[in-house]
Amino acid sequence: MIRDITIGQYYPVNSPIHRMDARVKLIITFLFIVTLFTVNTFLGYLFVVLCMAAVIKTSKVPLKFMLKGIKGIFIIIAFTAFINVFMTRGENILFEWGIFTVTTEGILIAIKMCIRLVLLVIGSSILTLTTTPIQLTDAIEYILRPFKKIGVPAHEIAMMMTIALRFIPTLLDETDKIMKAQQARGADFDSGNLLQRAKSLIPILVPLFISAFRRADELAMAMEARCYHGDENKTRMNVMVLKQSDYKAIVILVAYCIALIVLRFATTRYFII
Amino acid sequence: MEMIKADNLSYEYIKITETEKGTKQENILALNHVNLSIEQGSFVAVLGHNGSGKSTFAKHINALVRPTEGVLWVNGYDTKNEELIWDIRQSAGMVFQNPDNQLVATVVEEDIAFGPENMGVPSEEIRKRVDEALQSVGMLEYKEHSPSKLSGGQKQRIAIAGVLAMKPKCIVFDEPTAMLDPVGRKDVMETILRLNKQEGMTIILITHYMDEAVQAEKVFIIDDGNIVLEGTPKQVFPQVETLKSYGLDVPQVTETAYELKKMGIEISQDILTIEEMVGAICQLKSTI
Repeated sequence: MIRDITIGQYYPVNSPIHRMDARVKLIITFLFIVTLFTVNTFLGYLFVVLCMAAVIKTSKVPLKFMLKGIKGIFIIIAFTAFINVFMTRGENILFEWGIFTVTTEGILIAIKMCIRLVLLVIGSSILTLTTTPIQLTDAIEYILRPFKKIGVPAHEIAMMMTIALRFIPTLLDETDKIMKAQQARGADFDSGNLLQRAKSLIPILVPLFISAFRRADELAMAMEARCYHGDENKTRMNVMVLKQSDYKAIVILVAYCIALIVLRFATTRYFII
Repeated sequence: MEMIKADNLSYEYIKITETEKGTKQENILALNHVNLSIEQGSFVAVLGHNGSGKSTFAKHINALVRPTEGVLWVNGYDTKNEELIWDIRQSAGMVFQNPDNQLVATVVEEDIAFGPENMGVPSEEIRKRVDEALQSVGMLEYKEHSPSKLSGGQKQRIAIAGVLAMKPKCIVFDEPTAMLDPVGRKDVMETILRLNKQEGMTIILITHYMDEAVQAEKVFIIDDGNIVLEGTPKQVFPQVETLKSYGLDVPQVTETAYELKKMGIEISQDILTIEEMVGAICQLKSTI
């Protein structure tokens, strides 16, 4: 199903990963992130990387797109590496300079930390690249539903996300229009230092906010006119059903978790780094 | 059967204006003892200049606003009754002016499903209704598109489909073409007319475009919260002077006929369309 999505990074191809139930994908991604923190050896990471490579291959999404996400958090990765290298205390001191000490332990931890971050980003990219925003919101609503009893507004959160997704292109258009209107009257957004440029954005943001509130008001009325009254007695056009392939995915996930546990015990016993 | 019946319908609200001397309160009577009835299956236009109360009237039909005095019956339901509110909104759908601000979902079919989903229609039935509604406005091929990529007229037709999927008996259009280009306006008007003629839908069109109002069976003119004039377009529009005093235009050809008559040319005064004008002028020519 190829849908015309303007935002999000959905990559429209038809693959077994794309066809999977969004709820299952969401849970798998969540468990993947959690279990990633139990891995602490290079052997373990190798195993995770291999599994991930298999998933990426099945998803038919080019690796290039997967790696795009890393670019965005490059500074965080570099910063983490820096802190870990210089701030970790250890026995094998390689060299010392003022308050900075570099140890073998530090370097190892830094490398592991970076691998962990990169894997985290790629793992969540697989989810967003293979799932449309709408499927994702539906899945979030479904998964949060049991927590409604303790006051989590599952439906409201999902509705807010849907509306935000719906209005992003509209508000972008509007921003463009306002900017052009201001430019036509001599506004200058491109020159000056950072502070001046930030200041020149105020005349754009004020009308944008006012219009967003007006839109919200009108939309609320239109929704009410179409019988919207929260999720009480609400049915869905697309009912999510688990397919056989989804059960298979769950089995694979369980196997993956068991493998990680086994690896963890084996490595602590035999002192593999 | 009467689809909509207003009996002494009034709506009053308090307008608070902040001035330098402090806040000022003003009671404003948006609707002033309105009496009207609209038959099922008819096509009615409501005209009035800005602030005349025509939009307030439209919101009453959908129970978005409740009367402060008098009664309004929609499909036999009293809009004052809190418990009937969902039945009322289901019987009378509403299409608003700005097509952007009434679409909820990021995919066309999801948006159309929004109404039926809220009503608790089973999912199989929703699918059927979505397809029927899209077919009816001629937008079936855009089922999986994103609304943000459509033109204004197309978005407005999606909004109409969204209302149709709720299977209402009557649709209120609150200036549906005010923000559209001429092509979009034509498409939307054609859709509205088709719904009325072929599917027997009761249509209430709030507008200030005279050439749209001409196509209605009955016209109501609202001024200052009062219904000042009602009748068929042929009865209402020839009253050029009266209409102008309410701040309204008349169709171009009607005004031309009126001016011609003033200049002493014997021409019928109830000319509403260009075709009729052409006919009348040709007749004139043959008499000379």
